[in-house]
Amino acid sequence: MLKYLMIILGESSVPFCYYENKTGVKKTGELISYENLKKAVVFALKNNLKVNFLYPDIKLEKKYDKLIDEVEHIKIIPLKLHKTYKDSILVIESDELSSDSNLKNLKDENIILRLRYKQLHKLHSYLNKLIPKCRRINLVLLDIERYGEKDFEEYKHQLEKTSKKIFKLTEKKNLPEMNFLTDRLTLEQMNNCDAGLTHLTVAPNGKLYLCPAFYYNNENDTLGEISNNINIKNKQLLELKYSPICRICDAYQCKRCVFLNKKITSELNTPSSQQCKLSHIEREVSRLFIQKLKEKGLSIAGFKNIPEIDYNDPYENAKKNKFTISEFKNL
Amino acid sequence: MSDNNKVKIDKSNSWEEGRTKNITFVVTEDCQLECKYCYLVGKNKSGKMEFDVARKAIDYLLSEKEFITESSVVLDFIGGEPLIEIDLIDKICDYFKLKAYEENHPWFNSYRFSFSTNGLMYSDKRVQDFISKNKSHVSIQITIDGTKIKHNLQRVYPNGKGSYDNVVKNIPLWQKQFPETSTKVTISSDDIPYIKDSVLHIWGLGIKEVNINVVFENAWKPGDDELFEEQLVSLADEIIKKKLYENYSCSFFNKTIGYPYNQNMNWCGAGKMLAVDFTGNFYPCIRFVNFSLQNREGLLLGNYLDGIDQNKLRPFLTLDMISQSESECIDCEVATGCAWCQGANYDFADTETIFQRATYICNMHKARVRANNYFWNKLGRKLNKDMRNE
Repeated sequence: MLKYLMIILGESSVPFCYYENKTGVKKTGELISYENLKKAVVFALKNNLKVNFLYPDIKLEKKYDKLIDEVEHIKIIPLKLHKTYKDSILVIESDELSSDSNLKNLKDENIILRLRYKQLHKLHSYLNKLIPKCRRINLVLLDIERYGEKDFEEYKHQLEKTSKKIFKLTEKKNLPEMNFLTDRLTLEQMNNCDAGLTHLTVAPNGKLYLCPAFYYNNENDTLGEISNNINIKNKQLLELKYSPICRICDAYQCKRCVFLNKKITSELNTPSSQQCKLSHIEREVSRLFIQKLKEKGLSIAGFKNIPEIDYNDPYENAKKNKFTISEFKNL
Repeated sequence: MSDNNKVKIDKSNSWEEGRTKNITFVVTEDCQLECKYCYLVGKNKSGKMEFDVARKAIDYLLSEKEFITESSVVLDFIGGEPLIEIDLIDKICDYFKLKAYEENHPWFNSYRFSFSTNGLMYSDKRVQDFISKNKSHVSIQITIDGTKIKHNLQRVYPNGKGSYDNVVKNIPLWQKQFPETSTKVTISSDDIPYIKDSVLHIWGLGIKEVNINVVFENAWKPGDDELFEEQLVSLADEIIKKKLYENYSCSFFNKTIGYPYNQNMNWCGAGKMLAVDFTGNFYPCIRFVNFSLQNREGLLLGNYLDGIDQNKLRPFLTLDMISQSESECIDCEVATGCAWCQGANYDFADTETIFQRATYICNMHKARVRANNYFWNKLGRKLNKDMRNE
């Protein structure tokens, strides 16, 4: 069931996930038209949808701001707009972390950190800078198709360093939420992105897409105009139960990005080896973290144990052990 | 031997089943014929493999020991019509043997060269020389589609002339050289009236195993299922009356079909096998090569330079029945034996996916199940055995 709508306010709206925007386009003419924005907002109001607005790094005209305020929403903004729009989700590119001055006014933030492949080895140091300033950090690893065995080791190494470092914060009950470390500790089922199921995206051209990544990848890959009869062909392939690999997986924090699935494996419902291995590194580091907490006699409300497993990619299990028909029907 | 042990109608021969890597070399996209039902919709005269491409593909395949682990290999030569390129094939096979020997590869001791051919060039000296040279490692299947009328209805030259006479004259030599021969018959709407006579005709030619299937395309008309059922029932009567079940097999009749699913298995082996096109690109099977597809681009797995992209294989190797089927199929009471082709599914799907099963053959399958029930129940009465519930 649809719960929210993503609205891309302009071609250069901040990319907040595993895709790139059309950079350098900042003319107001490249914004979503007022008419299309109105249509999208009215659609959200009529269908009880909350809205996530993706902002370009320019100040919008007042009439846009006024229209946006008509609907319950969250603003997702680039770091540059931090002072303009308070209480928003901030998107920070790892390139922006080379200078501490970019971060000086941040406090108790909800951020998305987009980490470039080449900066993987700096992840721990970046997190060190951000953790004291954040109440939640969502880490987005870019270019995951480039990751190989050495990179997986490096990712684990970086997360383990961060895990050790934040142990002290745990004692002070001052631990921010981190999608790569704490989410799995609180989840009892998959918490995937669910693009196309719980949310859709309206692009600057006024058309609907599964998510912003599909729009930026190929404008023609649209679900059509905003309407009361949205038809997503083969929609079942977005559901967990139609993914042979994911439905047997318990890396619940994984976003299971259908765009990356399509891009790397050619199928919406099939995750890449990189996606699975990275998610299982996070699962394992989370498991070791809760284990250490227990050993020290510490506990945090809502954190649950994670069982030890002997694989880092459910693919091999999915190949060998097919779901039975009754298991499928009961899912 | 009991009467029941004499029943061979649902038996088939296959080599090293389950332990073999099937690798299809599409050596040419050309063919002398323009068969009307052919799924190779983009046949052409320009798509021809160079030896250097085949050599590099073999080098890669022999070196890829992490992901290709099967102990045996079938190098399957397909076209178009593969025998047009018999000189090239001979060179490829020699290179394979030499390279596998040099590398002490397990395939050197366990390989087959397999051909699906229209049979027109079977008696050609170069083909015969190849067979002599590789005799114990060759299997060849000539397609003879049934009676002359049925064969010539579909399997025609570009000028419309039927190819039956030119094929059938090579059958005796083929049978002499390969006594355990089988043939593959394809049924489309126009062929239905000739099914019974065609199966009997092929058996009459001495070909004991007939692998027969209906086309997966949206090619069926209302009433085709009833005519189909009539043909199969009539064939069943003849088989039982003349005890043909003791010596011949026909894949239309099988004790395992027509039950609800109790297993969640994929039907098709695409992805477990591999096809190499004339440029050296790799595909999950020939049905994913560009010239096989009506509505989509080919689905590439890699090439001999970069290897096989394992991420592209993940959908194929985890694909199961339930993930690609509608609930009507999952819950179907006569589901077993209902076939699908992954390449055809991909070609006909509403979106670019292998996870949407084409069901154009639904009514044809149900008709086959009824005729199949008829056959086994009637045979069971004759042999005094409940053959449907063994």
